Amino acid sequence: MNKSSIAIVALLALVGGASISWFLNSNKPVELEDGLWFGEQARALPEFELVNHNNQPLTRSSLIGKWNLIFFGYTHCPDICPASLQTMAEMFTAIEDPDVLEAIQVYFVSVDPERDNPEILAAYVTYFNPAFIGATAPLKKLTPLTRSLGIAHDIRNKSEASTNYDVDHSSAIVLINPQAEFAGLFGAPHDALTLARDMTRIVEHN
Amino acid sequence: MLLLILPGSAIAELDIHDAWIKNLPPAVPVRAGYMTIHNTRANAVSIIVIRSAAFTSVEIHRTIAEDGMMRMEPVPTLVIEPDSSVQLEPGGLHLMMMNPAEPTKPGDVLQIVIELDDGSTQSLNMTVKK
Repeated sequence: MNKSSIAIVALLALVGGASISWFLNSNKPVELEDGLWFGEQARALPEFELVNHNNQPLTRSSLIGKWNLIFFGYTHCPDICPASLQTMAEMFTAIEDPDVLEAIQVYFVSVDPERDNPEILAAYVTYFNPAFIGATAPLKKLTPLTRSLGIAHDIRNKSEASTNYDVDHSSAIVLINPQAEFAGLFGAPHDALTLARDMTRIVEHN
Repeated sequence: MLLLILPGSAIAELDIHDAWIKNLPPAVPVRAGYMTIHNTRANAVSIIVIRSAAFTSVEIHRTIAEDGMMRMEPVPTLVIEPDSSVQLEPGGLHLMMMNPAEPTKPGDVLQIVIELDDGSTQSLNMTVKK
């Protein structure tokens, strides 16, 4: 083969390969009403291991195959965490397309592992929707996940024996795509109908 | 005949409405309470203590959303200016109600007693909602 033929073949392979990966990935451009979509900047999550509310491991590969919405908080937070979970439950009610519903998984990750064990998490998240999954891990094991997502959390005013303390935490709902990549972010305040429309757009476009 | 009307002898209660408690399952030992408080008096009033037989303690807290973070701050004294309203609502001021004496369900009516800085007290019924 001469040089220009090799160049043409290489170019075709590049374009062909890029086209195939275009169809295989979940990062096509999407216009969101109220959220950040990372598109091609979606980045792979690191490995992590949490425990879900059924006492089973929740790892990076657990997220593969679904559009995952993850909210971080703690069950002793009576105001904003229930409100956010309520919003996500209302989002589910607002989504009409059953294929879109089927494609979404909501997670509530507690950044207060000392008080939030799987039993409490199970009661808490399923109160809002039986399909929601709660999870937590010792703080050291939470950090690889939270750091990769830019999620901050801070236990405040806790004395040694105290069971009555607050936990500061990020308010964003993070979006993980079916390849377990950090694909987007919904900042507070959250509106159920807007989230329903944006998630429908995301799932239908990809 | 002189009619003496003693000023301050009839202390107007705070006008409080839409008082409700957000329900959560029994495994969770806190509830949030919300309401609209209108001070019809000509002077500012402060809520200094809240008591309830239905909870071990009731405090006023404020959720603060700042730079993408959520945090809670206690509000030891809630001041309501004359002829003004204060709203306790999700994402803002709320009652932090600790350790319900009984499991709660939507429709339950629980009572709290609000004490003001002038020493007066006022009881309030709050309805549990989903």
